Amino acid sequence: MTDPRPPRYFEMPETDTSVHWKPPHAYDTTTPVTVWEPPASAPENGTDSALDRALARPGKRRRGLFALLAGSLAIGTAQCGVAVYEAWQYSNWFSGLWAGLGVLAAGFLARGVFKELKRLSRLRRHARLRERLEDDSAPVGTLDDLARHMGLGRDDPHLLAWQQAQADHHDERERQLLFEHHVLAPRDREARRLITRMSTETAALVAISPMTLLDMGLMAWRNVRMIDRLARLYGLELGYASRLTLCRHVLSNMAFAGASEIAVDMGAELVTMNLAEKLSSRAAQGLGSGLLSARLGLRTQRMLRPLPFREEERPRISHIRRQLWQQVKGSNEAEPR
Amino acid sequence: MAWTLPKHLRDVLERGLDRQVRLAVTGLSRAGKTAFLTSLINQLRHAGLDAQLELVSAVREHRLLGAQRVDQPDLSIPRFPYDEAMASLQASPAAWPTPTRGMSELRLAIKYRTRRASRHLTGEEATLTLDLIDYPGEWLLDLPMLQQDFHDWSGTMASLMTPERRAFMSTWLEKASAHTPDSVVEEQTLAELAAHYTDGLHQARRDGGFYFIQPGRFLLPGELRDAPVLQFYPLVQLEGWSREALDALPADSLYQTLKARFEHYKRHVITPFYKSYFQRFDRQVVLVDVLTALNSGPAVFNELRYTMNALMQSFNYGRNGLFSRLFTPRIDRLAIAATKADHVTPDQHDALQTLLSTLMSQPLQDMRYANIPARAFALASIRATTVKKLENVTPNALALSGRTLEDQEVLLFPGDVPSTLPDETFWARQGFSFTPFHPARHTSGALPHIRMDALLDWLLGDKWL
Repeated sequence: MTDPRPPRYFEMPETDTSVHWKPPHAYDTTTPVTVWEPPASAPENGTDSALDRALARPGKRRRGLFALLAGSLAIGTAQCGVAVYEAWQYSNWFSGLWAGLGVLAAGFLARGVFKELKRLSRLRRHARLRERLEDDSAPVGTLDDLARHMGLGRDDPHLLAWQQAQADHHDERERQLLFEHHVLAPRDREARRLITRMSTETAALVAISPMTLLDMGLMAWRNVRMIDRLARLYGLELGYASRLTLCRHVLSNMAFAGASEIAVDMGAELVTMNLAEKLSSRAAQGLGSGLLSARLGLRTQRMLRPLPFREEERPRISHIRRQLWQQVKGSNEAEPR
Repeated sequence: MAWTLPKHLRDVLERGLDRQVRLAVTGLSRAGKTAFLTSLINQLRHAGLDAQLELVSAVREHRLLGAQRVDQPDLSIPRFPYDEAMASLQASPAAWPTPTRGMSELRLAIKYRTRRASRHLTGEEATLTLDLIDYPGEWLLDLPMLQQDFHDWSGTMASLMTPERRAFMSTWLEKASAHTPDSVVEEQTLAELAAHYTDGLHQARRDGGFYFIQPGRFLLPGELRDAPVLQFYPLVQLEGWSREALDALPADSLYQTLKARFEHYKRHVITPFYKSYFQRFDRQVVLVDVLTALNSGPAVFNELRYTMNALMQSFNYGRNGLFSRLFTPRIDRLAIAATKADHVTPDQHDALQTLLSTLMSQPLQDMRYANIPARAFALASIRATTVKKLENVTPNALALSGRTLEDQEVLLFPGDVPSTLPDETFWARQGFSFTPFHPARHTSGALPHIRMDALLDWLLGDKWL
């Protein structure tokens, strides 16, 4: 049996752990200088966010579908091209024209797919930026990225106001505060006005429509329109695929994340609805669809806004409910402003 | 108003309606209290016009209408010399406002458009009364003495006698050691000893940069100059004497004489000062000159920490309800600010703020426990420098352009600010030397500043809703 080993000292590795601070340094006053401004662009980080991964479809399925689509498109285009050549060789004009039309169709299709993909990626980039801003540790310049991403022109009055409000000593949090006030607040107001208007119109339409099928159609059409407009307000252009992704996300968000909130809202809502039903079942139907539409709108707004709402300024359904009810019962005293 | 309430009654009504704020501007001498007050008044008077107050939400929403000086509540105190301070900033060459040598007070009436639902009843326009008080920072250090008796105080002073401090106080220490606590000392000798003690304090303050200088009135006696109440000193050599033995000494002994004067000083000098100015505050801003302390070395820096800690014990903190607001107001919101943030480049502000939080960690913990919201800021009341980006030195190198106290235009990288206090080897190797600057000559409009607006919003933002 061996003895227990005695203690033994090891040499400490020679590392200089002390921190060095730069000493003062005086420059010659004739050194050429420019006015200092905070750095404007952040390095694009390539890591996908959790939300991004959630937004994306399972990769395998999409890749197979994409390969199939691209393959058939390529083969079709090639075949049409060959057909045009052959038609020219044998002076077979009609089949040549058909083939030409085919090439054109393929071109349109390719352009459409390309546009869809671009819009989808914009939506995803939007989500990523938003997530980066949310955790408060966004690198310097993320806001400038965001402004560019929102498609604000160089002469956009809100953007100009924001830029004017900044001083060179402002840090990222202060700039974000100003961004919220100067750029986002006008859009928030606009969005709320839009939601109120669209949902009251939906409520009125459903209340007067005679058929359930028509109701359903109306709801679907108007809600999609509303989501579209909200997205455009926050600088996003939705294509077919991106709209689908967004809708799916909004709905799942409403179903799961917002369940408790809905429960709170419901209490007040049930009373209103019961009351409305006593007066007129049609009005109650209209009010119900209007409220649903408004909730969908608010949820969409909350998801699209590049900076998440702070708790106290988050728009709530109660703001809209009263206007809705007054619209349905036909009084104009609470004209949505 | 068709009828006017008596002034006192109106004050009570305003306090009850939460339309009156007394702001405590706390800071040791040279921390920048006067500059802060000057800038604060200036910014509020220019609010909504040319002042850069983007971070004040009421200004962003165009609700702040401006501020005017009105009659102060206590007419026996001089008015805060705002015009003189502005004049010295506008003079050529511009200079910092002269340090405060006595009490002064100013009342601002801030007019704003309210956003509360009650505006439909009471009208949209509302006025917030802001009371500001300026005082010599030296006197502030007397407040911790209120909680001590002569024996404890002597013990504290003895524990502070570091070798660096001892060097400044050597004459007094030498002469004072000749007298034991039980000896009877003549009035004349006592006055001389106190004079030596005062000289030592002056030197420690001026040449050593020390902060914990007690009693504060010795430095700025005012009308009390040469009064016997200012002729005492701590007994730092009490080894071998128990408290009981000292208390049993006759009334004409040195210990008892000094003790009597100390108690008199506490009762008739500090207590009135504390009672009339320091008990009724609603909000507080604590100004700390971290950069100068860093320049002076680790001993002074640690003393600053100790001093601020002792100082913060002298204020009442707690939540205010209607009754406590009327009868026993307490400070319910606090900002601590590292001043002279314009003396370092903007990329150092984070580090400056972190260092300040480390320095004030004990008070901040207490605030957190008392549920008082507190926030740290890197602040410059009056901005003296501009930031430049250097073109052909190193990429993105920043430098400050300004005028030093030696009246030289410089383009300077002032050095990094550490975010924690460095260890001893660093001090031995390098140390810090941040350059002080002269203010730029002010011509018109609002004074340039750094983060005064953020501070204002934090301190008063909930009052002018």
